[in-house]
Amino acid sequence: MSPGQALALVVDDSAVNRKVLARHLASLAIEAREAANGREALELLGADGEGFDIVLLDIEMPELDGYETLATIKGDAALRHIPVIMISSVEELDSVVRCIEMGATDYLPKPFNPAILEARVRASLAGKHLHDLEVESAARQAELLKTIERQKDELSRFLSPQVAALVSSAEGEQLLAGHRRIATSVFCDLRDFTPFSEAADPEEVLGVLRAYHAMMGGLIVEHGGTLEHFAGDGMMVFFNDPVLQDDHVERAVRMALAMRDRFEVLSAGWAKRGYRLGFGVGIATGYATLGRIGFEGRYDYGMTGTTVITAARLSSAARSGQILLSPGSHAAVEGLFEVEDLGDLQLKGFSHPIATVNVLGLRSGSAVAAAG
Amino acid sequence: MNLEGAPVLDAAVLDELRASIGDDQEFMVELVETYVTEGSTNMDSLLAAAAAGDCAAIVRPAHTLKSTSASLGAMRLSAICRAIEAAGRESRPETLGEDAELARTTWEATLAAFAEAGLRA
Repeated sequence: MSPGQALALVVDDSAVNRKVLARHLASLAIEAREAANGREALELLGADGEGFDIVLLDIEMPELDGYETLATIKGDAALRHIPVIMISSVEELDSVVRCIEMGATDYLPKPFNPAILEARVRASLAGKHLHDLEVESAARQAELLKTIERQKDELSRFLSPQVAALVSSAEGEQLLAGHRRIATSVFCDLRDFTPFSEAADPEEVLGVLRAYHAMMGGLIVEHGGTLEHFAGDGMMVFFNDPVLQDDHVERAVRMALAMRDRFEVLSAGWAKRGYRLGFGVGIATGYATLGRIGFEGRYDYGMTGTTVITAARLSSAARSGQILLSPGSHAAVEGLFEVEDLGDLQLKGFSHPIATVNVLGLRSGSAVAAAG
Repeated sequence: MNLEGAPVLDAAVLDELRASIGDDQEFMVELVETYVTEGSTNMDSLLAAAAAGDCAAIVRPAHTLKSTSASLGAMRLSAICRAIEAAGRESRPETLGEDAELARTTWEATLAAFAEAGLRA
């Protein structure tokens, strides 16, 4: 109970009684409002029923007596939880019994004894406080459930569907904590995007990005990729995590081919408006660490390690229209795709050159396997 | 009506009240003033009802006077009003006039006692 915040309604037709009661309540750090009869009391309760923590109610009063007032309070769903203490003289004890049967919490004998007043008021306020806590806790729980549902909805919009599902799954915490496994990383971005964005109006740039993201986003989902992030024209997608995929490399390459095809349609439209943009992809497969990356307040589900860096460097090295595979990726899909051997490529930051191939397209006859 | 042991003003009740509100003389004076104002109105109603022999109308002013008088230690007036309230409830108009007159003189005596106790300006 926080007595400093409690508000009492004192209902008595005697101003002397109201004054004495208000004074005693004040010494308990309880603020008192006064009503001279039941009608005035109900007006105050009707206007601010939620605000009152306790009602001290006289029985004999003009206009509306204590019985009728009590019956109205206990019959009102918005008010019935407020404890009512009857104020009664010794002769009225029979009446008090009736009031308690009607829902009054307790009674206070007249003339008032401060110790009894304090004990009964505090007991009633504690009961009310408990009730308030229960109501509050139920409301908070409902709010929490609503929030979780909303967050799930939001997650499925902001995160890739796999990560959204993972976050709300039972094994989610374990996977989020970080784990190592073989995975395929795909980096792609637009060629000549920077000069384009410098020359074009911002609205044009955003329009191009929106069309590009919408198209590529659809393909990522279609192929079961996990989108780690968009950064302007760049995207990083990985496969085989959090959902395991036997054919993760093949999925990655098929996605890249589909992206390249769709990109040609998009870029043909842009070319008519004078924008010359290209598209390149780098794919690498190998062990990586996956899980929650970031800091409290802003976490991503991500992939880190040499494999990621290799894919990023291959993407940088790719010319427009090229899909470059690391040796690991190539080995996994050998025979499925038509490739062009580019020999050993010296990638930035790597001490040894890497044998690289460029994917030209599906090998004729392997199209049947294109599950997508 | 037995009024023995019912002093016009019971100093013990007043002292208890005074102590319970933290010995606030100003509040005590204010309280007595409220009592006098409220009591005058109730006394008028009580006398009018007695004069008319109206048992129903005398109950409420008698009840309130009984209760507030007891709170402030005006035990004799409280006792008289208790008897009047009972008579009213039981529809016994016979003694109302006599009792009301006793209430009136006791009311005057009570006011004088409050003044004597330094609680009336």
